[in-house]
Amino acid sequence: MSQLQAATTSPATSSRLSSWSLLLNNRLATGGLIILGLIALLAILAPILPLDDPNATSPADRLQPPLTEGHLLGTDQLGRDVLSRLIWGSQISIAVGLAATAIAALFGSIIGLVAGYAGGRTDNVMMRGIDMLMAFPYILLALAIVAVLGPSLINALYAIAIVNIPFFARNVRGVTVGLVSREFVDAARLSGKGHASILFTEVLPGVLPVIVITMSTTVGWMILETAGLSFLGLGAQPPQADLGSMLGEGRRVLFTAPHVSVIPGLMIFALVMSINLLGDGVRDVLDPRLRAGDLTRPRSMTRLERRSKPEPRIETDAILDVQGLETSFQKGRKTVPAVKDISFSLKKGECLGLIGESGSGKSVTALSLLGLVASPPGMITNGAVYIEGEDVFSRTETGVRALRGSKVAYVFQDPLTTLHPLFKVGDQIAEAILAHRRINRSEARSRALELMEKVGIRDAKERVDAFPHEMSGGQRQRIGIAMALANDPDIIIADEPTTALDVTVQARILDLLQDLRRERGMALLLITHDFGVVAQVCDRVAVMKDGDIVEAGITGEVLADPQHAYTRKLIACVPEIGQGKAFLEGLRPLFAEKQP
Amino acid sequence: MLGYIAKRLISAVPVLFGLSVIVFAIMALIPGDPATAILGAYATPENVERINRDLGLDRSLPEQYFAWITNVLQGDFGRSFRLNRPVLDEILERYSATLVLAGTSLVICSILGLLAGIVSAVRQFGWADRIITFFVLIGISMPAFWLGLLLILVFAVQWRLLPASGMYAIYGGGDLPDLLRHMILPATTLAVVATGVIARLTRAAMLEVLRQDFVRTARAKGLDERTVIYKHAFKAAFVSVIPVIGIQAGFVLGGAVYIETVFQWPGIGQMLVNAISTRDILLVQGGVLFVAASYVLFNLAADVFQALLDPRLKS
Amino acid sequence: MKNLLAGVAIAALLAASPASAQTPPNVLVVGQIAEPQSLDPHVATAVNDFRIAVNVYDGLVRYADGTLEVEPSLATDWEVSEDGLVYTFTLRDDVTFHDGTPFNAEAVKFNFDRMLDESHPFYETGPFPLSFNFDSVEEVNVIDEFTVEFVHSEPFAPFLSNLAYPTGLIVSPAAVEEFGEDYGRNPVGTGPYQFVEWASNTRVVVERNADYWDGAPELEAVVFRPITDANTRVAEMLSGGIDVLVEVPADNVGTFEADANFTVHEQAGPHVWYVMLNAAEGPFSDVRVRQAANYAVNKEALVDDILQGTATVSDSPIPPAFNWAYNEDLEPYPYDPEMARELLAEAGAEGAEVTFYVTEGGSGMLDPITMGTAIQADLEAAGFEVNIETYEWNTFLGLVNAGLEDQADMAQMAWMTNDPDTLPFLTLRTEAWPDAGGFNSSYYSNEEVDELLNAARTATDQDERAELYKEMQAIVFEDAPWIFVANWQQGAVTSSAVENFELQPSFLLQLGDVTKR
Repeated sequence: MSQLQAATTSPATSSRLSSWSLLLNNRLATGGLIILGLIALLAILAPILPLDDPNATSPADRLQPPLTEGHLLGTDQLGRDVLSRLIWGSQISIAVGLAATAIAALFGSIIGLVAGYAGGRTDNVMMRGIDMLMAFPYILLALAIVAVLGPSLINALYAIAIVNIPFFARNVRGVTVGLVSREFVDAARLSGKGHASILFTEVLPGVLPVIVITMSTTVGWMILETAGLSFLGLGAQPPQADLGSMLGEGRRVLFTAPHVSVIPGLMIFALVMSINLLGDGVRDVLDPRLRAGDLTRPRSMTRLERRSKPEPRIETDAILDVQGLETSFQKGRKTVPAVKDISFSLKKGECLGLIGESGSGKSVTALSLLGLVASPPGMITNGAVYIEGEDVFSRTETGVRALRGSKVAYVFQDPLTTLHPLFKVGDQIAEAILAHRRINRSEARSRALELMEKVGIRDAKERVDAFPHEMSGGQRQRIGIAMALANDPDIIIADEPTTALDVTVQARILDLLQDLRRERGMALLLITHDFGVVAQVCDRVAVMKDGDIVEAGITGEVLADPQHAYTRKLIACVPEIGQGKAFLEGLRPLFAEKQP
Repeated sequence: MLGYIAKRLISAVPVLFGLSVIVFAIMALIPGDPATAILGAYATPENVERINRDLGLDRSLPEQYFAWITNVLQGDFGRSFRLNRPVLDEILERYSATLVLAGTSLVICSILGLLAGIVSAVRQFGWADRIITFFVLIGISMPAFWLGLLLILVFAVQWRLLPASGMYAIYGGGDLPDLLRHMILPATTLAVVATGVIARLTRAAMLEVLRQDFVRTARAKGLDERTVIYKHAFKAAFVSVIPVIGIQAGFVLGGAVYIETVFQWPGIGQMLVNAISTRDILLVQGGVLFVAASYVLFNLAADVFQALLDPRLKS
Repeated sequence: MKNLLAGVAIAALLAASPASAQTPPNVLVVGQIAEPQSLDPHVATAVNDFRIAVNVYDGLVRYADGTLEVEPSLATDWEVSEDGLVYTFTLRDDVTFHDGTPFNAEAVKFNFDRMLDESHPFYETGPFPLSFNFDSVEEVNVIDEFTVEFVHSEPFAPFLSNLAYPTGLIVSPAAVEEFGEDYGRNPVGTGPYQFVEWASNTRVVVERNADYWDGAPELEAVVFRPITDANTRVAEMLSGGIDVLVEVPADNVGTFEADANFTVHEQAGPHVWYVMLNAAEGPFSDVRVRQAANYAVNKEALVDDILQGTATVSDSPIPPAFNWAYNEDLEPYPYDPEMARELLAEAGAEGAEVTFYVTEGGSGMLDPITMGTAIQADLEAAGFEVNIETYEWNTFLGLVNAGLEDQADMAQMAWMTNDPDTLPFLTLRTEAWPDAGGFNSSYYSNEEVDELLNAARTATDQDERAELYKEMQAIVFEDAPWIFVANWQQGAVTSSAVENFELQPSFLLQLGDVTKR
């Protein structure tokens, strides 16, 4: 469900053409489309194909096996041509499946839209009604509905549609609730638009992809269910052929003439399978996250595609020496570099600030150092990262893993998402220790406790069994730091460690990092967008823009005399207390060229 | 936690109550009556009238409903005229048969579905993934009733490996191996679709979780890939799949209607189909109420289980 | 995880290893078409229930082996008064019920009073839908311990035959008193087998009555197993899970015939399968259109191809199994679409649009959907427009029994009866229209037929009755109130281990003499 909701947060805006080509790029979906197209074509052409009358009986020729002359797929229990009935039957089954889906989508969506939009009691009552429908075993509900209405294909269609309304109602409601609280809906309301007009002009377009996705994933299911009802004799009335009733009637002669029921069964199967394949394809196209290739599984280490092979070992006094690093992302068939040929180094006990706006490539740089850029789409396309003179990327994966968390440790930005939500914080710290040291669990635990005390968590003994969500943002970041300290690393890479925190907490965390660094002689690579932070903590600074380092030097020097225009802008963005409006006035000329 | 369970149970009451009204209304609307069902071809107006009087069907619909619901609240589900026995006895007997079958296949489909989903996600785009995706697709596209027939045709009739129908052998038998032997075909048939659904969702959930920041954290700690996948990623993915398993429980219960008919499994699904066609009103009402209640309970159990694993949901 | 999977696999193998299903020695397993409704023979209406009942109970009289002629059973002999109003039975004095209580005249009186006397203390254990078979009985009198007399209000020829039918079976009064409304699940009779167990939806078990007055059966027990799905029933037979299969689907007869492991039994019985035609309104109110329908349908193809020879073409409301009453001179309407078209043209009913009620299954309905579809195709070929509506059996009965008026023009129906009187009396008389409480749902009415039927019913001489019935058949044949379609030859399959198994024309399944190697 979360996938569906995510789908609508940014309505599909891309052109139809690219959606089609994306769909066709998916080989399985294309296969599904071809099979479905073939079946549909046959079904549509049924009236002009040279087929026998599907209802012409000939009892003397009954139950002929397939490949009999004149009857390619044999005949059924009344001597009717199975091929002809199969094609005509597919026509009906497809039509009924589509119609039932459309009806269920229409009413389900209306219920979902209204419930989600109205909220409160209306929502509650409607959704309880939907719950009732869902709690009713679906086949029995369909059976009962058909029993009330009388058996016919149309009534079976209604029954199937009614049974499937809840799926649409629930999906659509979920998305609607999310949309209704958004600004553009408020804006529409303030502009005096009526409820109906808001629902259909503002909310509906956002919900549409979900409806389409739900339709494409349920239509196969609907065909199966209609076949099921016909199989039980509640759908199509004789002599009309639909796949389910062919199967149901053929079932009586299953042991003597299996082809009569096996063939329509196979057809249902092929039909539903092709629709499912296509439905998956449609979902992939309409779900933007899937489109970006986000749902491919990341490797345990970033892929290496280095154009040249650097020296595996160099002489250097720096503990971390990055030379000509290039990290790229795959976009479709193109490879776009995100970090271009950057080099910097870090000495023991030193602090280097890597600064830049978001998208400048600073985080990618940080993650690249130990191959933590998600891959796909990321890959290291050139350069080397020397730690104590040894190239990280010349190591085996196991070798890189041995560095992670022991020699080099990371502190990440948002501790709410970077800590595992389902494990206790103490266990998560202990786990970091156990990954590199052979000690027993209780030792690891007491060490974790020490670390928690070290990073300034009060009542560490009680908090050790807390879950991340039970802690405040600052405490969580302290846990993140404790985890990084677990194995006394030589280098800490802190990727925007304070960005998610409020100002006072920010300052305390920075103090903590600073103290620890001094105390333990660790090197610190601090990634940030805030020159204020750099000025407070870092010995040296490197400024990144669009994947390049545009300026680097001693912090004080750069601050005093920035060489690059971009650096000047970044510095100017740090307000001073009491500056007031003058701050904005001062900024304006620097950004003037960006105004149209 | 207890408060949460209590709240959920209380919110289920109006759903079940509304459902009982719907079932009652549907049964009242269905043409044909119990008398015809009892009397068969010999339903003369006199006999019909007498039976309707005996069954209390000559009273107004609200009267009938309130009489029924009052008795149900006191634990009395009435007597099935068709089977000449108390509704509750029949339901409990049938329900336990269904639970054995549906429970087994739910266990099978959960284990297989989760395993297949994990393997498929971990080996994404590899051979294992392709093979699993292929079978999952077959599973969710398969008309279950048709599969059941094919299995009978092959395993019971052609090869004579397994019994074609029933729950126990007629004579002797009655022990666990006997039950297992009878259960293999129906439980497999019933599990196929649900296995596919669970496998698909597990795969998607795993892929989504593997992209999460905390997985990167686990890697940054230097954990080996096995721990990252099977401990960190799987736990988070599993938690999000649990409600799906709860919903599948409902589908398995519903699917049991076909499967029990095809395999003559003496379960509640088969009972309800027969009861609808014989207009055994009290049996239908009681049976649907039971199935619906168990659907609600399954989902509640799934949610509670999820909350136990995911401390964030407790609050 | 791996261990668990391995465990499951091993369990599956273990469970699968004892290869094919085997029925136990000296126990006969019968595949029934459904769970019985009641084992109280006075309450039961379905042949399916009768198959069990006739093995647990005896009646005062029974059908002699292989015939529909009545012979002594619990009554050793009987006398009928001159006016045909008083029947006096002499009872066996050596019979006890399975519960040890004695069988005597009081017990007989109890049985019939329970069914017929609304003030009887156990009348409430009903309803007794077939009690109209004994409607003419005014009172039952105990003459002495082993003599009982039935006094009728009017002469009623089918009485003895009706006594031989399951509604006339004798239940234990003590058991009725003990179990009350639960008696139907706790039957006690005097028959060759006594009831042991009824496990819902699984089986009904009866075991041999070692003290049976007519010679104890050799079989240790008989198990009746309900398998509603015809395919599953066939599959069970093929895989050896049952010894006897009744109501064999026509298409599977060939499979069993070709296999030496099975014996196929066939027996014609008093069964009529027909399509009633609404004579009150619409195109079928014209006799020519009704005849046209009879010419249009290829009945030979229906019985030979679709029913695979498990039925014969019918031409009368009295099936040939009642050989003494059946009119041999009649020849079925031939398949003649030309003739049908001519008649339609004559009646000005070309392209008449008609609604055809078809059921999905039901007692004696054979293969109703396939047959209905074939009939529909034949009628369309002759110039009718036929719309089929299918209904599940109980709904179907509800609709049809109420009469076809304003609903439909045609409906399938089948009857299995025990006396030539029953079917025409209930379905062809003017006084049997639905509003009068009969089953003449298509409103056929012919005064001559009414008179002939009433006369035949009260005549006590069989030859006289036969003449009346034959005359009636000739008129009905011409009037064509139905499309006469088929008389079923019931089929059964037994495994080769079963011996002395014989089907009866009465459709009752007598298992007292059956043995199993």
